[in-house]
Amino acid sequence: MIQWKRKDLLGLYDLSAEEIIFILDTAAEFKKVSERRVKKVPALRGMTVVNFFVEPSTRTRVSFELAEQRLSADIVNMQAQASSLLKGETLLDTVKNIEALQVDLVVMRHSAPGAQNFIADRLKCGVVNAGDGAHEHPTQALLDLFTIREKLGGFKGLNVSIIGDILHSRVARSNIWGLLKLGANVTVAGPSTLVPREFEELGVRVCHNLKDAVKDADVVNMLRIQHERQNSGFFPSIGEYSSWFGIKSATLQDMKPEALIMHPGPINRDVELAGEVADGENSVILEQVTNGLAVRMAVLFLVAGCRK
Amino acid sequence: MNSYAQLYDAEQTKQGVRLLAEQIGRHFSVSGNGFALVGIHQMGVPLAQMLCEELSACGKTPDFGQLDITMYRDDIGTRNMLPRIHETIIPFDVNDREIILVDDVLSSGRTIRAALDALTDYGRPGLIRLAVLVDRGEPEFPIRADFTAFKVSLPPERKVVVKFEADEISPAGIFDVNWHKNN
Amino acid sequence: MKEYLFKNARIIDPARNIDELGSIGVSEGKIVAPESLETPEIIDVGGKVLCPGFIDIHVHLRQPGNTTAETIASGSKAAAAGGFTSIVAMPNTNPAADTAGAIELLRRTAEKEAVVKVLPCGNMSKGGKGEEMAGIGSLKAAGVVAVSDDGKCIQDHALMRHVVEYAKSFDLPILDHCEEVTLAAGGVMNEGKWSVLLGMNGIAGASEELIIARNILFARQINWKIHMQHVSTAESVEMIRRARAAGIPVTGEATPHHLTLTDECVKTFDTNYKMNPPLRSESDRQALIRGVADGTITVIATDHAPHTATAKLVEFDHAPFGIIGLETAFAVCHTELVVSGVITLSQLIAKLTTGPAEVLGMKNYSLACGNPADFTILDTDLEYVINKNNFKSKSRNTPFDGRKVKGAVTMTVVDGRIVFRNGEII
Repeated sequence: MIQWKRKDLLGLYDLSAEEIIFILDTAAEFKKVSERRVKKVPALRGMTVVNFFVEPSTRTRVSFELAEQRLSADIVNMQAQASSLLKGETLLDTVKNIEALQVDLVVMRHSAPGAQNFIADRLKCGVVNAGDGAHEHPTQALLDLFTIREKLGGFKGLNVSIIGDILHSRVARSNIWGLLKLGANVTVAGPSTLVPREFEELGVRVCHNLKDAVKDADVVNMLRIQHERQNSGFFPSIGEYSSWFGIKSATLQDMKPEALIMHPGPINRDVELAGEVADGENSVILEQVTNGLAVRMAVLFLVAGCRK
Repeated sequence: MNSYAQLYDAEQTKQGVRLLAEQIGRHFSVSGNGFALVGIHQMGVPLAQMLCEELSACGKTPDFGQLDITMYRDDIGTRNMLPRIHETIIPFDVNDREIILVDDVLSSGRTIRAALDALTDYGRPGLIRLAVLVDRGEPEFPIRADFTAFKVSLPPERKVVVKFEADEISPAGIFDVNWHKNN
Repeated sequence: MKEYLFKNARIIDPARNIDELGSIGVSEGKIVAPESLETPEIIDVGGKVLCPGFIDIHVHLRQPGNTTAETIASGSKAAAAGGFTSIVAMPNTNPAADTAGAIELLRRTAEKEAVVKVLPCGNMSKGGKGEEMAGIGSLKAAGVVAVSDDGKCIQDHALMRHVVEYAKSFDLPILDHCEEVTLAAGGVMNEGKWSVLLGMNGIAGASEELIIARNILFARQINWKIHMQHVSTAESVEMIRRARAAGIPVTGEATPHHLTLTDECVKTFDTNYKMNPPLRSESDRQALIRGVADGTITVIATDHAPHTATAKLVEFDHAPFGIIGLETAFAVCHTELVVSGVITLSQLIAKLTTGPAEVLGMKNYSLACGNPADFTILDTDLEYVINKNNFKSKSRNTPFDGRKVKGAVTMTVVDGRIVFRNGEII
């Protein structure tokens, strides 16, 4: 029987399939907590969690905060700009100061890939990665995996297509590692400028045609397209992106009828995903949000629980 | 279990379960809402199941639930590893119910403390009682068993292990095991 | 001045194609015939290798501007410890070495404080900004041995063409950092499998290759020497190979780190794997090694780029580019290129002596009598683990700390003075 031994959760690249399943199993029990009238357990009572966001975020931070509250942890929220950190105190000094206040866990988001790995190696307290640049967003991928397992029962042989700006997406990378480890077939699709061929070397299928990408998919995970990519010349316009890579009602005709539609949010309605598809029968987008809370409770509980 | 002594054999253990069921049956009726047994993971769950079967044979079929107390432990962050969280299933409304918590061994009382917190987060039971197969008699908390089959007095570094099924290490029964507190 | 007789040495002198046991005499700072010495101090080299002093044509000394990271004095000591008797100081100091005054200051400071020869290099453009040509003529008069905008690259091709034409008229070689900036913009590591895996912005190989292609065109058209600094990709090596075969006066240098490390190292997020050009793929590394082996790449230079621990102990994205290399260059290259059988010891010594000397237009860089007594003694059998805490450099930003190597510099002699011996600056 596997037991959790990590003080940090930095990414899915480092986790074994067994560890991922262990988190999902743990999350299943935490999901029930939020369904009770008393939506709170004393698991992290007396522990302090700092939510340190060096990049703006609303959804992920709220989800983590709620997860921490439901575990009875004490919470401090800190926000900083990477640019001001550059000029003044270094990131390492900042987190060392946080740790000196006898904090138990740091939940951190940062715009630089690997910033959390850099910090975790140098801190005794636990570090949970809430997104580091385009590198990893492990709790988002875990909640996606949790939702897929809940809906479809497992991963072996499943076809999952991730569509959008794969190049700049931490969600895509964490999903790729998790899905591959659990035995799913992964396709990444989008404009060739945002889905370079190098992704094939990670073990996924690369595809530049929406119809081809969704045809055999059991799950279609749509990523948010950032408007600023248009200005950097990755594609000509949002309108052109939407017409070639957005999912519309008509796209569902080319898909398996029971295929799941997922999106990490926030959705650009009618850009990557037509409103009626986001709200339609295949969509599990709001369930992803619910499951995110359970997954984050499980992760916080596990990393806090194994500290020496 | 490299160093252990058998305290009770398989047959005596079975008799203990029957004894426990009789005690419960004398005190609780199935009138009104009836009472419910809630086993605490791990060994409290099969024990509660066996008690349910015994009581059913006497025509008193209680509701049955299972409770995992890992989220309610008071030693999170101090252990090397956390135990795996098992499924909590409370398939009935606990409000105003008479509930008997069931565990295999009453030792420090900390598990029962956690179980009381866990159970009351599901609602407001009318009454809670505690049934254990083995009572070690020296709890660290002011918690006593209401129903018990065996009383055992052992030094704290020994652990009492209950097995309802034989395995490759030992037969079924109740054992006194040399225990290292760090696992 | 003291006279020395270095006897019982394995003398390797690539310029004269010598590899034999013998003795070297030193008098008045020059190499002399041993029999001409009167009462020399005799040093028994014990069969170890004695070769011409190494020349590093790519060193950042950080003075003026960032003397916390390195100074002319500390950098020169690091050079001596690495067997280098001459180093070319890159002009991207603060202020930049783009005027005769700046060069004069460097020369005076070096004369007083440096233990090896510090050869000045001036900027090609004012402030290294790539906008206007620097006063190349007055830089020449102040004593620069080459011009370079290292760290940056002139993007304005018309300006670059004029710089090459103008530098030719002053007989100054061009040392160019080849980087087209739009293909490198925002990049922190090689663009490839690992940048995709780690979610980091990549620096495309084409960024270097475009400028190498440009420089080859100019070198042919103007018929003047352009030296490509820190060549890093397979395509760059191939272009230089073909250009040299066609008789175009271009040369290329490789750094010890590009010859031994790849972009996979970045997965540790250790900022000592961040430099520009970035560590490339394994196939690029292999192509670079082939280029060294077949003579396409004639120079090994360190791009010694000191940074303080504070500057480097940050997120990978925010760390400055560059690592130090003077004190590890020979050991790393000897282990990875000579012990592994890619090139001979004599060939490695050539890349560290005659190769760079040729770029700078230095004639007869050898141990011939009458030449300055600049030489290095090597123990090619010594095995040890690199320990950055023993460095003479003020900085510690090396990816080679803890690496097992074979081959050490045991003595460095500059103008007949022993400046480094058995781990100590004399």
